[in-house]
Amino acid sequence: MRPFLPEERLGSLLALLGHWGEVYGPVTTGDGVTAFRPVSDPGQLRLEYRRTLIPPKRFLLPPRETILTYSPDAGYQPLDTAQPALVLFGLHPCDLQGIAYLDRVFLEGVVDTSYRRNRQALTIIGLSCEPDEFCFCGAAGADLPAGCDLFLQRTPAGFFVTAGTMKGEEICDRSAQLFTLRQPAGTTPWHHPLADAICRGCAAGETFPDNPLWDRFAERCLGCGACSACCPTCYCYDVLEQGGLDGQAAERLREWDNCLFKSHGEVAGGVNFRRSRRERLQYRFLHKYYGFGALRGVISCVGCGRCRAVCPVEIDLAALFEGEDHDRQ
Amino acid sequence: MIRPQLAIAGLTACFGCQLTLLNCEAELPDIADRFNFTYFPMGMSSPDITADFDAALVEGAVSTPCDLETLVTLRNRSRLLIAIGTCAIFGGVAAMCNEEPRSRLLRTVYGPAADGLASFNPAPLERFVTVDFAVTGCPPERGELLATLAALLRGTFPALPAYPVCLECRSRENACLLIERNEPCLGPVTRAGCNARCPAMAVHCEGCRGPVAEANVAAELELLIAKGVSREELVRRLRRFCPEWDYEQRA
Repeated sequence: MRPFLPEERLGSLLALLGHWGEVYGPVTTGDGVTAFRPVSDPGQLRLEYRRTLIPPKRFLLPPRETILTYSPDAGYQPLDTAQPALVLFGLHPCDLQGIAYLDRVFLEGVVDTSYRRNRQALTIIGLSCEPDEFCFCGAAGADLPAGCDLFLQRTPAGFFVTAGTMKGEEICDRSAQLFTLRQPAGTTPWHHPLADAICRGCAAGETFPDNPLWDRFAERCLGCGACSACCPTCYCYDVLEQGGLDGQAAERLREWDNCLFKSHGEVAGGVNFRRSRRERLQYRFLHKYYGFGALRGVISCVGCGRCRAVCPVEIDLAALFEGEDHDRQ
Repeated sequence: MIRPQLAIAGLTACFGCQLTLLNCEAELPDIADRFNFTYFPMGMSSPDITADFDAALVEGAVSTPCDLETLVTLRNRSRLLIAIGTCAIFGGVAAMCNEEPRSRLLRTVYGPAADGLASFNPAPLERFVTVDFAVTGCPPERGELLATLAALLRGTFPALPAYPVCLECRSRENACLLIERNEPCLGPVTRAGCNARCPAMAVHCEGCRGPVAEANVAAELELLIAKGVSREELVRRLRRFCPEWDYEQRA
């Protein structure tokens, strides 16, 4: 028997979660975009959503943020304003995997203090999902990704509740009166054939250097960078300094960088490590499927399908694993 | 600290770029404290072009002998020459009809008086002089102008966005007008910096900030033609802010 939250008590759970911070969940914006926004009423939630346009990484690594300030009197000062506590409600397993990956990038070894500040402000509530034609995560219903405080397995009548952390246990304790006990029906874990193909290809070290898809991709890639901007595990950033008009004070900013941009591989003197669009696409492929640095060998594609859904010219790097016949254009 | 001597000039233009600077009301006292304005016809009485300048900020395209004389004088007298606005960098709106005979355009506007006018096809500053830095936009973003001035105080230039509008548009979580609305948005080939102001209001990008570096113009055209827009219409729209796109360019 497992704790079960009947659907009609979801509002009570949301109200209770408010104790841990402002609750953000998947909603449809006025623009028709699915995005994490503050929710107070379960009626606003899109429990059946497929994916948000921008993954939850924006709460950890904002598109642009000030990371330190300089003034002649105070010198360099890290920005240590406390982040308001947030509860991210309804993250799918792929996005939970994405956060678990970013945690490894920014918190293992040399700790990124700005990321840690943002991360510590988050309470994360996962939600099971139904895949669509764009996603291919291989592990629906598998183990809870690290760092997910509470996970809700949705059924027609409500949610089976699993705590993943101490904080999750605490939430369960505080909301025990909302739960009943039920016998979970056996869920059948499903395996997307593409996920299997990716795992096989990566295990074999495939980089498909002679695949004609590379040229076809490079020819039509607009270099808009949407694939990387919307990727839950793309974390490249640029650091720039902006002086104040007083000629003294300055801020150091970091903003999302993007391997599809010319500037990404550009160094002093106008030299560029990746001059062609083909090389930029290959670089992105290598990062996603083979990893760099301490995370070499870790596949960072979580199968959320965003890069396939947001590409204006339907480029899908994963198609390389399926063979060239699977290019959608 | 350096107290730079500035020249701010407008050639063939609407003077909206210079107006954007004047509209930075909260910052003007700081700017006046830190810079000497010596030649700024739009903003002062008795401008003096005979001084030596640390930087000349020049708006507009070059389309008359008088424009050219001002430009060359400023180039000779200024350590740095900074193009501000799309017209100064690409030719801009003033150059959108450069394919048509100049004499006919002049007669359409000035009637018989056109015959005595010395005027040639509007062209970007770079066609005539070396340009050290450029702040694009129609008009430029005030934040980018202010960042440029702040950088001048430190003897450097700011890092302004050189990537396409799409990055800013996506990070604002706008609906993609290309994909969701099937609209002929020019965001993928247009320089960012505007924070996707138009797409955020569901208006597709018109390309007012000019071509992004290494734009895949050919693929953008193919994509929009596939959406049902004619090539002629696309070329007309692209030419509105920059007359000299390379329509075959892919990288």
